[in-house]
Formats: sequence, structure tokens, C-alpha cells
Amino acid sequence: MSRVLVIGNGAAGAFSAWLLAKGGWEVTLVGRGTSSTALSTGCLRSAPKLCRDEILEFLGNDDLPWATDGREGISRIGTSYRCWMSPSHSTWNDGGAPKSVAVAGIGEHPSLPVRTTAAMLNRRGIKAIPFIMPVQVPPEAPLSSRFRDEEAWEVMAAELEQLSAEAILLPAMVSLRDYCRLDQLERRCGREILEAVTPLGAPGLRLADLMLSKAKEAGVTVWDGRKVIDLDVSNGAVREAKVLGGSEVRLVALDALVVATGGPLVDGLNIDGRELTDPFGRFQVTGHEDALRGGYDNRNGRLVSSDGQVIVNAVGAGDCLSSKGREYGHGLNQALESAYRAVQTLEGS
Amino acid sequence: MRKDVLIIGGGATGAGIARDLALRGVECLLLEMGDYCNGASGGNHGLLHSGGRYAVKDPPSASECAVENEFLKQVAPFCIENTGGLFISLPGDDAEFPDAFARSCRSAGVPVHELTSKEALASEPGLNPDLERCFMVNDGSIDPFSLVQANVDDARAAGASVLNHCSVAGMTVEGGRVVRVEVRDRRGVLQDTIAPEVVVNAAGAWVSVVARMAGRHIPMGLDQGSMLVLDGRQCAHVIDRLRPPSNGDIAVPNHTSTILGTTSRPARSPEDASVSREDIDLLLRETSAMLPRLRRGRVIRTYGGVRPLLGGGGREASRSFAIFSDEGAENLLSVAGGKLTTYRLMAEKVSDRVCDMLGNGSKCLTHREPLGPPASGSGGTIPLARLVRKYGRLASSIDTTDGRVMCSCEQVLRSEVAMVLKAGDALTLADVMRRTRAGMGYCQGFDCSLSVLEIMMGTEDGDPLPHLDEFLREREHGLAHASGDQLRQELLRRHVLRGVYGLEGKE
Repeated sequence: MSRVLVIGNGAAGAFSAWLLAKGGWEVTLVGRGTSSTALSTGCLRSAPKLCRDEILEFLGNDDLPWATDGREGISRIGTSYRCWMSPSHSTWNDGGAPKSVAVAGIGEHPSLPVRTTAAMLNRRGIKAIPFIMPVQVPPEAPLSSRFRDEEAWEVMAAELEQLSAEAILLPAMVSLRDYCRLDQLERRCGREILEAVTPLGAPGLRLADLMLSKAKEAGVTVWDGRKVIDLDVSNGAVREAKVLGGSEVRLVALDALVVATGGPLVDGLNIDGRELTDPFGRFQVTGHEDALRGGYDNRNGRLVSSDGQVIVNAVGAGDCLSSKGREYGHGLNQALESAYRAVQTLEGS
Repeated sequence: MRKDVLIIGGGATGAGIARDLALRGVECLLLEMGDYCNGASGGNHGLLHSGGRYAVKDPPSASECAVENEFLKQVAPFCIENTGGLFISLPGDDAEFPDAFARSCRSAGVPVHELTSKEALASEPGLNPDLERCFMVNDGSIDPFSLVQANVDDARAAGASVLNHCSVAGMTVEGGRVVRVEVRDRRGVLQDTIAPEVVVNAAGAWVSVVARMAGRHIPMGLDQGSMLVLDGRQCAHVIDRLRPPSNGDIAVPNHTSTILGTTSRPARSPEDASVSREDIDLLLRETSAMLPRLRRGRVIRTYGGVRPLLGGGGREASRSFAIFSDEGAENLLSVAGGKLTTYRLMAEKVSDRVCDMLGNGSKCLTHREPLGPPASGSGGTIPLARLVRKYGRLASSIDTTDGRVMCSCEQVLRSEVAMVLKAGDALTLADVMRRTRAGMGYCQGFDCSLSVLEIMMGTEDGDPLPHLDEFLREREHGLAHASGDQLRQELLRRHVLRGVYGLEGKE
């Protein structure tokens, strides 16, 4: 069985690892920490143009019911975004916005600034009433841990039951395995429950969890909290990776490599002045003048070594690749489709 | 509203005039079209000049600075850091200049003493060890926002009316006098026209624009200067290059940052303050010749200001000031030129003229009446000194027992925001952020701005979007040339604002 190493545990890394494992590869995925998917809204903003079936299968999960087609979500400051597919409580049907919404937050906790959000909804013609729940959470504490506490949840639910608006907008706070509690809450209150999206909040973290668990189910070996510190490239191919975890360094022999380390937004690529550089010191990077478009140079996804030679068994996936246009908000779509292309390139070789 | 004197422009000069006149018992009204320090008063490097910079080429300005420097340290110690300044020369610099500098300082009354390079390096270890000559002067850093706010507050306490976000739209001249002034007040407090006895045009870079409303011509040179904000205090003193004034000569430690300045190019208009990438490279290259560690510093943002200079412009133009009036509009006084350090003197001279015109014999008090408390003290659970530096007298009304922090970069307390909102001058989110320094750190406010906005929304039924747009646009200006880690931070900021929140921004 051919051994492939995938570097990066975001959407592009997890999806390519999953695809490769299903294709019969022996896959190891190395991730350094929280995946950058956690920065996203946890939704697919547009319908996949490529490999739609694979993406739907990859994201399918019993814990997280998805809704598709023309959805509209609300950010934590009351702006809206459109998407094609989202967890059912993240969005409402496009055009099906409720006439009135209770915006229920926790004091001045930044997860949902209720007065700002209500004012933003009001200016869009949705009657919004700010409501502050009688639960204290320090601003720096994540809500998910607080509301795992049954008593806090019950206090919240009892308050929300009293509200009269058509829908209730809550801060996003439930993790993947607690998602069903939003359904229970919706039934109990008899009105639509919607969660407001915040970066590095529950929706992105949930999705990152889901993608990693899918990769593991497919047989991928996941090494968390580890870092690839060196790659051995010789005769136009990558042969070996040096992986650091804690104080231990492991040498991993490999037949193929997927680099899915994310772009300059996270630290997948180094930024020196205004120039992007390769943290491995092995690959060619282009687009120096515009960090937003720059990334690894590639020939149909195959990476190029610093001396200009195409590396036959190394592909890039996702945001670390140079791009003609990175579109804000569409990173997940781009990551998944690019991972699919990367895997096709590897399997074609 | 019936007021004897209308002052146009809420920079240091205008605010200083309002305070000076109010202390002399003159009824006055000050209007500022944006927020205080909208122009050059906010767009400078925050240097309290010793006079050394002008000693060789412009001795009268140097003397003025030397005198005013001492006055300001007496009356406004809270907004000044008495850092001292070091003028240093490096190999290759004009060898004749240092002695000329010392001579000129002495004859202009600018206190100066020479340090050996060993002494210089002992007091400022980050200096380039190859330095050749070094002179210590009385430079310091000053917070212009805090200074101007204190002038405004004190003017009000003495009976003046001061309105920001209120602009002058036109003037009617009849019989050689300005008889009516049209105003546009965002708050709706003022009627559409007012008829003051005397109009003072202290509009800084806009002084010609305002004079033109009365059909007058003021010959002004507009000159743009660029500055960089570097994270952290990179030096203990103001560091200045010992050579004829040129680009990239100065590093000023101020609050939690260091400001590098400046450049000089003709500006097409008062708004033409944009900073070019070449300016940034030049400033870093030149200042790091004096302090090598600046090379490795993180540039948080860049900003520009437009200097209103007398006559022509550029480095050769005088930093002195002049008061213009003529029989075409005999009750209009326009004040032009000058600099932040001499704002009090300019205000005194203008106020003297105004008092002459009104037949008021009172004398100026601003050289001895304190503007705020001394810069020290501690109280509650939060060190008061930091709050006094930002807010002067108002610091005592901040609840320091409430430890909730709104902006973690600048450690801004929730109670600071509450105090600023209560004071009533901050109409927009950008106003609040400017007064509290929230959003001036690494993240440039992309997170704390939302928390501050939420508090504002609690006190008024506003539309949050224009507040956010204005603030984010202003920050974006300063980030156009972000590099290194700050560029990564900026990519994150844009990803969140546009990708997650769906806020529009210009690409």
C-alpha cells in the first residue's frame, strides 16, 4: 500500500486524507492545533461545482443535520450572509426570514452583542428585540462549556420559552455532539431557533471536528499537535518527512505528500516583509506582490521545488496554493474542491 | 445662539484660542467639522519640540519652541512624557553641523548639552554604537488628542461653547464685515446661521478654504508628511538625527508605541495625506540607522498629515505662524502656520487681537493656569497614571474598581468607554476609539470595536452600520501597506469582516 503524508488538518487536509484513504492509500495526517476551518461560518457558501457527491458524503453526519439550497444566515453583529448548505439552525430559508426575532445574548459577552445585532436586523425590516439572558459568563470564556451545565441550560430554556417573537437568535454555542439540543429547544419553545455565527466560534469548530472524525473513520491516522519540520526532496520527489511532536522527532518515509497547510492568513506560509516564503524552504512560492493571491507555485497541483523542478509526488491543496482570486467567505468551497483536484492528480500518477 | 466670537477649527490652535478667550471672559463658540485633531493636530508625530530641530535654520521658531516647551510642561504635565531628546550624528554626516547646532541652540535659548558616545549609549543602549556626536535636549512626547480635549473641556468649564461634527458652509460679507455664517450641525443644536462679532479662522490646512468663503486669499503651502507606528516603546528618549532637517529623522516613544517620522512632499489638498510604500521604506531605513532595532520592529499602521505652512512649503518653509486680516473682511482673523508645540503662543496672540477688537483689556492666563492634574497618582485596582495621561482631569471620574477590559491590546477599561460616552463629545464609534485608544494595538480594533459599539447602542437608538463603516475605513487606510506579522493580522481582519460578517470593504 502506498504511504501518503497529509500536512494540515483543515478542510483541504481532512478531505484529501479522507479521499485518499477511501482510495486505498495508507494515510497519515499531521495537524498542529486548532484547524483554520474554525475561522469559518461552518457553511458551504456555494454549491460545489466539482465532486458534489463526495463532498456531501464527507460532510454527512448523524449528529449534524444539514439544510441545503438558498439559505441565509446571521452573523453575531446582525449582518447576513447567503449560503448553499449549512447546519439547519445556522440559517433560515432564503426569503423566509421571520418577521420578528428575539435576539438573546449573555450580557456583554462578545458572542452576541444584542443591541447592535437587533439594530442591524431592524434596519433590514426584521422586527428585533434585544434580550439579555440571566446567565453570567466571563467575556473570555467560551459559551459551549458553560451551557454543557444542565442547570445553566435549563435557566436559559425557561427564559426563552417566555419570549413571543417568531424566532430566537442565540449565540452559537453547541458543539457537534450537543447539536440535537437545539432541536429540543426549538420544540420546547415552539419557535425557530437560529444561531449567530462568530469566527472561531461553534460552527467552524464543529465542522472541523466533524471532518477529522470522518477522516479517522475512513482509516486515516491523525497525529495532532505535531509539526513537519523538514522534508527530504531528491531527484524530483519527496522521500521522507521529519515530524516533531513534543520533544520526539520521527522520520516518516513516504510515497506521496499533500501540503494543505493553509495560506498566509494562518501561518501556512511565512510572510517576510511583504513577501510570502515557504516555511519548509523546499518549494517555490509565487505572487509576492499580493499576499492575498500568492502561494505555492504548482503545475496542475504538483508543487515545484525551489530550483524550478516539478516534484512528481507532492501536491498542494487549499489556501496554500497560489490563486487567481481568493474570495472572502468561500474558503471552504475552494479548499474542498482543490483537495479533490489534488487527490486526482496523485491518483493519476 | 449669541456669541461674540466664532472660532472655526477644533485643532490645537482653535481649542487653545477658545480656552484662552473663555479664561478672559469672552463669549465664544468653537466649531469643528469632524472630531478634534481632525487635521495636522492629530496627524503628527506627537513631539514636544525643544527647539533643537529648528535651531540652525529657523532660530525664531526654535526660541518659541524652547519657551513653550517649558510652559506646556508646567500647565499640561499629564499629557506630556518628559523623555528628553538625543540628537545624534553618524559617520558620513556633515562634520560641521554638530558645532553649528550647539552654537545655534545656545543663541536661540534652547538648553543643550553634549554627551560622549559612552554616555549616550549608557542612557540609550539601543543607539547605533558608531554614533559620533550626541546632544541632549528637552524634547518630549505629547498626546495631542489628550491636550486638545483638555483645552476643550477647560474652555467649556470657563463658559465657551464647543461643538465637534459641526461645519461652516458659507459666509456672507457686507460692508467689509462678515455678517452671517452658515453652519451645518450634525446634532441639530445650532440654527442655520449665526452672526458673531469676530470670526477666527483656525482651520489649519483648511485655512485658505475657509478664508475663501469670505472672499479672502491666504497664501499657504500644504505639505504632506508620513509617519509609522511601531509596536512597543523602542527607545527611552526622542531620538533625532543631528543634521539639517530631512526625511526619516526622528523616533518618538509615545504611550505603548514608537512613532517614526517624517517625510515631506507637496500636498494637493488638505485631505491629500496618503502614505506611499516608498515613504515606509525610507522611514525604516533612515531611523534604523540611528536605532538598529527599529528594523525588526512591527509596523502596526501608517498615517499621514498635511502641514499648513506659511508661504511656500517643504523643509525650507518657516515653522512660524502669522495672523491675517484685511479691510475686505475686517472682523475675520485667520491664523496660519505654526506647530503643535507653539499652539498656546498662537492662541495667545490671536486672542490678544480678538480682545483688542472687542475692547476687552484682560490678559492671557494660559501660560500659568493648569490644564489638568500632574501626571502621577494611583488609586483603586487600576493604576491611575495611565488614565490621567489619556484623560487629564476627567480621569478622576472613571470607576477604577470595575476591572472589565474592552480592548486587550491597549487595556482599555469598560468604565473609560462609559466615561467618554457620558462626556457627550463622542458622537461616532471612531470618536470613542480615538479618545480611549481602543483599537490602536495589533488587531486595529476589529474585535473591540464591536464591543464598544454595543455599549454605544445601549445609550442611543442608532444605526450601527455607519459607525462601523467609518471606523473600519479609517483603520483600513493605515493598513494599506501592512507587512510581516501585521500583514497576516490584516488578512485575518479582512477575512473576518468580509468573509464571516459579510461587511463590505473596498478591495
